[in-house]
Amino acid sequence: MMRPGRPLGFLVGLVLLAALGGALSSPPAARSQAADVLLNVLATGAKKLNIVIPHFTVVGGPDAQGLGKGLSQVTARDLTFSSLFSVVSDVPAIPPGDPAAVRAAFANFASAGAHAGLQGVLTLRGDRAELEMRLHDLTSPEFRLIGAKKIELPATQTRRLAHKVADEVVLQFTGEAGVADTKVAYVNSGSGSKELSLMDYDGASAARVTSNNSINLSPVWSPDTRSLAFTSYMRGYPYLYRMFPFENRPVQVLAGFLGINTSPAFSPDGKSVALTLSRDGNPEVYVLNLASGAFRRLTTYSGIDTEPSWSPTGREIAFVSERAGGAHVFVMDAEGANVRRLTQAGFNTQPRWSPKGDTIVFTSRQGNFDLWAIGPDGSNLRRLTAGPGNNEGASWAPNGRHLVFQSNRLAGGYQLFTMLADGSEQQPLTRAPGESTSASWSPRLP
Amino acid sequence: MAHRRGSALLVAPVLVLSLFLAGCPKRPATTAASAPPPTGAPSSAAPSTGGETRGGAMTPTPLAPATAAPSTTPPAPSEFRETDNLKDVFFDFDKYDIRAADAKMLDSNAAWLKTNDNLVLIEGHCDERGTNEYNLALGERRAKATMNYLVGQGVQANRITIISYGKERPTCTEHSEACWAKNRRAHFLVKAR
Repeated sequence: MMRPGRPLGFLVGLVLLAALGGALSSPPAARSQAADVLLNVLATGAKKLNIVIPHFTVVGGPDAQGLGKGLSQVTARDLTFSSLFSVVSDVPAIPPGDPAAVRAAFANFASAGAHAGLQGVLTLRGDRAELEMRLHDLTSPEFRLIGAKKIELPATQTRRLAHKVADEVVLQFTGEAGVADTKVAYVNSGSGSKELSLMDYDGASAARVTSNNSINLSPVWSPDTRSLAFTSYMRGYPYLYRMFPFENRPVQVLAGFLGINTSPAFSPDGKSVALTLSRDGNPEVYVLNLASGAFRRLTTYSGIDTEPSWSPTGREIAFVSERAGGAHVFVMDAEGANVRRLTQAGFNTQPRWSPKGDTIVFTSRQGNFDLWAIGPDGSNLRRLTAGPGNNEGASWAPNGRHLVFQSNRLAGGYQLFTMLADGSEQQPLTRAPGESTSASWSPRLP
Repeated sequence: MAHRRGSALLVAPVLVLSLFLAGCPKRPATTAASAPPPTGAPSSAAPSTGGETRGGAMTPTPLAPATAAPSTTPPAPSEFRETDNLKDVFFDFDKYDIRAADAKMLDSNAAWLKTNDNLVLIEGHCDERGTNEYNLALGERRAKATMNYLVGQGVQANRITIISYGKERPTCTEHSEACWAKNRRAHFLVKAR
C-alpha cells in the first residue's frame, strides 16, 4: 500500500542539526532531491523551509465532508508543529491533470517565497481511501517533483492519511519520519474517576478506553503500539494490567502481588516490562519477562526504588531511589548492577530516557515542580521549564524532538502540553472536562 | 496488523471489559488465583538477594473472575468499614517514619485491636505534590511503617492488610500546607473476622 520512500540526505541531517539544534539523525544515505532543496534554503540563512499546501483534491465521490480542505489543514498543522516548516495553507486546490494550471499556481507560490509545494489527491473507494502526495521543489525552474507516495487506509481513518503525508514530507527532507501518525495515552478525570484515554498526538479523536470507575494510572505504550500497561484499582488493590485498545482481547494481569504493582515501562524490544513491586517488603524495581512470566528483582535498598525507564538500547535503566536521601535519579545496568547517581540537588523523579539515548528528562522539585534534562553520564544538566505552575511527567515523541507533559499553569488543574526538547514552543494540548495527566506518547503507528 | 481506529476505538474497550467480567482465561493454570499468598504477613525486613523468581508470579494471562481468588487473598478494600476506634496518624513531607506524638496514637490503636479481634486495613496516603508513581511508593511505606509499629505492639501481622493510595484519595483538596498535612496520613478500616 505504500511505495518505498526515496533515499534521504546525510548532509541534510547535519545541516538541520546545526540550523535547528534538533536531535535529528543523519543516516548515511544518498542525497535526495528534497534534501537539496532544504540545503539550498538553509544556506540562505533561513531557519525554516517555506512550504505551500493547497487544499487536497478529492476524486471518486462527492466531498460532502470537506475532506479536501480539512485534510490539507491537518497536514499543514502537522508540519507547523514539526517546527521545521513555515506553512502556507488554505489555498484553493490546484486542478489535477491541468499542467498549465499547476505550473501557474506554483509560479505564483514561488514568487511569494515558497520553497516547496505539496499536492494531495484523495481518492474515495467505498470503505477505503487513498491519499496521493506529490512534493515539488519550487526553487527549481521546472518545479521538479522531488517526492511522491500513495497511502491507503480504511475510509474511517482519513485523518491518519493526512498525518502520514506530513510524516512522509518530514522524512523526505530530514531522513527521519515525522511523528504526526502517533497517539497519546493519558489519564483523564472527566467522568469523575481517573480513566485511561487515547487521542491523536494533536489532541483530536479523544476517546476513553477504560470505564471501571476506579483509579487508573500510569499508562505506557508497548513498542508495537498494540497495548498499554497501566496500574488500576479495578479489583480493589493496585495491580498492574495490560490492555489492547484496538483489539478484541481481554485485559491481562501483569502483576497482582500484595502491595503496590506500579510504574510500568516496556523494554525497547517489547519482551519485558520494568515495574515496581513491594512484595518483598518495600518498593523495588523488577523486570517481568512477558513470555515466561518470571520476575527478576533489580534493586536492593530498604527504602523506595521506583519509576524505571529503559535506555533505547535496552542495556540500561534509569530509576528513582531515596538511597542517597530525598529522591534522586540513578542509572543501572539492565541486570541491576553498576548503579550510579545522576542528580545531586533537589527532589527528582520521573526519569524518561530519550529515544535517541542522549538525554534523560526528569521532574525536579525546587519550590515548584519543573522539567529538567541531563545526559546519561550526568553531564549537561539543564532546565526545560520554569513555571508557570508545576510542569511534570514528560513523555518523549518517538523522534526525540518533542515532549508532552502535564502542567497546572492554567486555572482548573492539570492539562497536557507539548514542547520541543529544549523547552521551547510550549503549547496546550488538552482542555477540560476533567484534568488530564500521565501522558505517554506512542511510537509511530504501523 | 489489526489496528482499527475511529469507531473501533470506542467499541473495543467495552468488549475488553465485558470479557474481563466474564473471565475467560486462556491459561487458567496461572491467573490471579495463583498470586502469592497475600496473607498480610510482614515480609522480611532484609532485602532478598534478587535473581529469577517464578513462584506465585503473575503471568500475563487474562484476568480470572474474582471468585476464583484463593482464600488467602486479602478481602477487597470495599469490605472494610470505617471505625471511630482507630485514629489516623500523620507524616512529614516525603517521610514515613512514625512521629513521637503519633506513636502514642498507635499505642492506643494497638490496645483497641488487641481487645477487638477485627481484620484491619491500613491505607497509606500522600499529599498532592509529586508524581503518582513516587507517591504510591511513599504511601506504601507509610502504611508499612504503621503496620510494623502495630506488630511491634503485639498486633498479629496476619490481621493486617496494607494498601497505598498514593495521592489519589485526599481528604482535603485545597492547595495549602494545612491541607497537605491532613492528607499525609495512615488511615484505618476494619472488618469482622
